[in-house]
Amino acid sequence: MKKIFTIFALFILMIVSLHAQQSPGKDHSKLNITCKTCHTCDVPTKSDPCLVICPREKIATVYQKPEETPDLITIDQISDRYGPVHFSHKIHAQMSIMSGGCKNCHHYNTSGPILKCNSCHEDTRKRDDISRPDLKGALHRQCMDCHREWSHETGCNTCHTLKKNVKEIQPDQVKKKLAGMAHPVLLEPTKIVFETNYEKGKMVTFFHDDHTKTFKIECTTCHKNETCLKCHDTKKVSDEKSKIVKAHKSLDEHHKQCFSCHKEDNCESCHLNKQAEQFDHGKKTGWALNKFHVNLSCVNCHGSKIPYSKLDNKCVSCHKEWNNENFKHTITGLQLNETHAQLNCEDCHAEKNFAIKPVCTNCHENYIYPKQKPGKLVRTK
Amino acid sequence: MSGKSRRDFLKTSAVIGAGVAGLSSSTAKAAPKNILSEDRMGVLVDTTVCVGCRNCEWACKDAHNLPAGNLESYEDRKILETKRRPDIKALTVVNEYSPGKNSNLPLDVKVQCMHCDHPACVSACIVGAFSKEENGTVIWDTDKCIGCRYCMAACPFQVPAFEYNKAINPLIMKCDFCFNRTKEGKLPACVSICPVEALTYGTRTELVKVARERIKRNPGRYVDHILGEHEVGGTAWMYLSSKDFKELDFPKLGTNPAPGVSESIQHGIFAYFVPPVSLYALLGGIMWITKHRKELDQEEKL
Repeated sequence: MKKIFTIFALFILMIVSLHAQQSPGKDHSKLNITCKTCHTCDVPTKSDPCLVICPREKIATVYQKPEETPDLITIDQISDRYGPVHFSHKIHAQMSIMSGGCKNCHHYNTSGPILKCNSCHEDTRKRDDISRPDLKGALHRQCMDCHREWSHETGCNTCHTLKKNVKEIQPDQVKKKLAGMAHPVLLEPTKIVFETNYEKGKMVTFFHDDHTKTFKIECTTCHKNETCLKCHDTKKVSDEKSKIVKAHKSLDEHHKQCFSCHKEDNCESCHLNKQAEQFDHGKKTGWALNKFHVNLSCVNCHGSKIPYSKLDNKCVSCHKEWNNENFKHTITGLQLNETHAQLNCEDCHAEKNFAIKPVCTNCHENYIYPKQKPGKLVRTK
Repeated sequence: MSGKSRRDFLKTSAVIGAGVAGLSSSTAKAAPKNILSEDRMGVLVDTTVCVGCRNCEWACKDAHNLPAGNLESYEDRKILETKRRPDIKALTVVNEYSPGKNSNLPLDVKVQCMHCDHPACVSACIVGAFSKEENGTVIWDTDKCIGCRYCMAACPFQVPAFEYNKAINPLIMKCDFCFNRTKEGKLPACVSICPVEALTYGTRTELVKVARERIKRNPGRYVDHILGEHEVGGTAWMYLSSKDFKELDFPKLGTNPAPGVSESIQHGIFAYFVPPVSLYALLGGIMWITKHRKELDQEEKL
């Protein structure tokens, strides 16, 4: 028996050590993808992760806060006519938040260490595998797509310095210049009122605040693949005609953004003839969030599935472990006296429904809460 | 030089003409050079990737000893406001078009010789100056070229240009797929300089596979059409785009090789100088007959 235990312990140890050796993103093995999606061998190690060649169709990416990323990355592997490029990584990471984030550039990166571009993109143009661009092509494509959109230019000098002038620019200098540089914080609207053609309700009030702060929905859930162009364009078309172009979107397209969550709502839930009121859990559901619940995020109770499922207002639906022995009634603001503390919850709270008034008539004739109380009121913290 | 080569050509053709006058025109075939190789090379031009930097234009001129100017001067995008065609001073040009589907970015299209698998210029050339090389290149021998411009008329993409400005020894000019560079194992100049690798160089078979894969992986980005895969029997240079190629000034072409019927007629007429020789023979015959008749008439009168 002892032998079996030792073998078992060794086995566990082996798995643990293997796991430690990989040092990938936390818990990436628990993700809902098979190992073979990314690895070709059975036992991938750190030195030989045996990753399948790019592109990896299904990938798990890690998210790093822009502030945690390097300020400056010097790209000098393929410099030839021009000197090395000093790429201000951090500020670009901040800029990319609305347009796909890290994976905008670090595409096909597995969870865990950030792969170098040249682990997939070869640095020679004349090569056997032409299924993906070479390093020069891949790097330029990353930069040019955005730079071209807002500047309408393809000038090399935005990023490059000719080799003969390169002495003038030192990485330290660039680093100093970049220190503390950041993309300005985006100003969020609080409320937007849309006027629509819908007969039964011409106004749609959209509380941006509610969606971002209360419901804690990620920006990119709605703002999908937004580019710099959304705000920046050095040569905005001044043509009057192009300004008044009305988007002839189909009904579906117009509502796509909202329908991804509100697919079961009626038209009149959003289309009203007056401005809507801000979301209030009490008004909307009949169960106001008390001070214990107000700080929770929606998913804590409703789960992550959207649209959120309706919950009943019985405490024990969520607090399944509560009973009359371990529940401290004092936190409700009423300290039960000794006799009442012995009772079961449902003796006073009929059917364990805590939203309605407790009943005293089961034991005391003509007693009505809150005229008569089963203890004393206390101030709760 | 041209005079000499032209004289040479006439001499050789006269000799050949005299020697093989009796042969039937149906035995005329293209030179062994023009057999299509399995491993012939090509280029896939992804117009959705091209940024219109025109570095390829500079590299091309630089590689062909044409006046190229300063690379920095190519950053001026004003020139893209007018549509250009390859000419004797620029064997490749980039034109810009409005954005295709799902994009804010303009489409830039590089134009040059497509290096057809069944080149009309090769079949149209009456002096056999043009040839399709083993590596896919369609080149021409300037020493043989007599400047007849048949290739210009035959080309379905209207690529070959002619040195009209030269009074003496005007020649045909077009992209030669950097034959001198590829011979040495180098990449074509345009492919080599392209910053975004909008031009992918590889075997034609591989390129078709790559192009298909790109369309499959990104159907929102591309129209489902590889220009040059089947057009005029296939070309070495192929294009991907995010809008219909008609809108990018590409001619609408069928899948039949451009030479087709014309080739047999053309080759029939000019092969081994059969028709001229037979024509002279016919005329000579008529002359002989008329002369003979006259003699007879005179004899009768006498």
